[in-house]
Amino acid sequence: MWHIFTIIGPGAANTVLLTSISFAFGAVLAIPVTLATRSSFLLLRGVGRGLVEFVRSIPVLVWLFIVFFGLPQEGLSPSPLVAAIATLSVVSAVYLSEIYRGGIAAIDRGQWEASRALGFGRLDTGSRIVGPQVLRVVLPPVATYGIGLLKDSALASTIGVVELTYRANTETQLTGKGLTVDIIVGIIYLLIGLPLAVISRHVDSRLRAKFSLT
Amino acid sequence: MACLASHRSGESSNQRVLPTWWPSKRGPRVLSEKAAEPAVETQLAASHISKYFGGNKVLDDVSLNVRKGEVVSIIGPSGAGKSTFLRCINFLEVPYEGSVSLDTLTISVVNGKLRNSGKELAALRRKVGMVFQSFNLFPHLTAQRNITLPQERVLGRSRREAEQRALNLLRRVGLEAKAHSYPSQCSGGQQQRVAIARALALDPQVMLFDEPTSALDPEVGTEVLAVMRQLAEEGMTMLVVTHEMRFAQNVSDRVLVMVDGRIIEEGSPDIVLMAPQQERTRQFLKAVLRE
Repeated sequence: MWHIFTIIGPGAANTVLLTSISFAFGAVLAIPVTLATRSSFLLLRGVGRGLVEFVRSIPVLVWLFIVFFGLPQEGLSPSPLVAAIATLSVVSAVYLSEIYRGGIAAIDRGQWEASRALGFGRLDTGSRIVGPQVLRVVLPPVATYGIGLLKDSALASTIGVVELTYRANTETQLTGKGLTVDIIVGIIYLLIGLPLAVISRHVDSRLRAKFSLT
Repeated sequence: MACLASHRSGESSNQRVLPTWWPSKRGPRVLSEKAAEPAVETQLAASHISKYFGGNKVLDDVSLNVRKGEVVSIIGPSGAGKSTFLRCINFLEVPYEGSVSLDTLTISVVNGKLRNSGKELAALRRKVGMVFQSFNLFPHLTAQRNITLPQERVLGRSRREAEQRALNLLRRVGLEAKAHSYPSQCSGGQQQRVAIARALALDPQVMLFDEPTSALDPEVGTEVLAVMRQLAEEGMTMLVVTHEMRFAQNVSDRVLVMVDGRIIEEGSPDIVLMAPQQERTRQFLKAVLRE
């Protein structure tokens, strides 16, 4: 059993790499998407909302196939890892932007009014007043999404990214010990995901103790 | 009316008296360029403000000139447009028509469109302090940081200078001890006093108060009213939407009565509150003072 663990284990490196890079890109890209969906310009708002609906209506697996098997037809041949990172980044940007949007909607409009009345510019209002409060509101759902993304990263095995699930599949085919292998891979996912959950709870309760909103 | 009169006689010693230095501190009087303007120095002028919500006309051609150091109370039934009028003065609500002048700056709106740049609008807002019914302190910042951040970002003051100013102001509103507390750790009255300090930190020329004590129980409201009274005594130009008839009576120089988006009566508190000319004013005061 330890033997199987040592064979699958190294796949965790790619799983963590894929998840963390996609999540980081997604978390940043989600900001302009959110701003676009909240824009007062109809065109920008339309583009933003259209993008969100378009991306999230199609299964992540299909997006992976489009990027990995589809782009070569247009002369672009990304490696499996790059294709997976690109796909999961865009998908998480879209989902996270919806979470951000909900977080912004949860902020009392008096906060904007006070900022305007004091003469703050839009940038300062966003980064100093509303932003930090939104961050507190969205922390739990964003962490939940991050853990979801960790699990979704298993889809990348289908386009040949050598991560946990990929290694588990090969090992099952070689040894036929599917139950043992999949229980072990499940435990590894758990070991990666659990600390994330614990950390986010901890940060959330600390922020909550520091200040409450309205 | 009798109860109002008794408040008055009981508090007459607290009546607003301008300190002796008051006129001299105002600097040399700038001669008005427009001949039509009255001889008294106008600090803030709101002219011909109209505003619609949907098809409803909530402000109907309202104009108001406020002199330097004057304290004006706006009273009237709810839904009369008092708060909307106040919010039009710093353009938190953009009126459909009208203009607001402060100093050399005039911001005007025609057909719901601002005729000035965002920069000019920000300049106006910087000179007009506002205190809200719901305080609107920034909950993620301590009381002190609530006061220092606007100074640093809007006026470009240094951290040190801003902190010095914040501490002075907190002392003035009696909340030095709360400097490092978050708003959620302060009572409503304390939060409102911090909010007043936050607005004062930007050295406004005019302070707008939008029902500053309505969200507070009467005892706590008194702390806030005391700070406002002190501010008035120091010569601050103030525009106060209020249901506090005692404040309107004792602290303000002028009382406006607003009904259905119009100023139906205005004058010194003695006349408006004690001997109103309009039947609608009498009706309103009767209802309010029966409480």
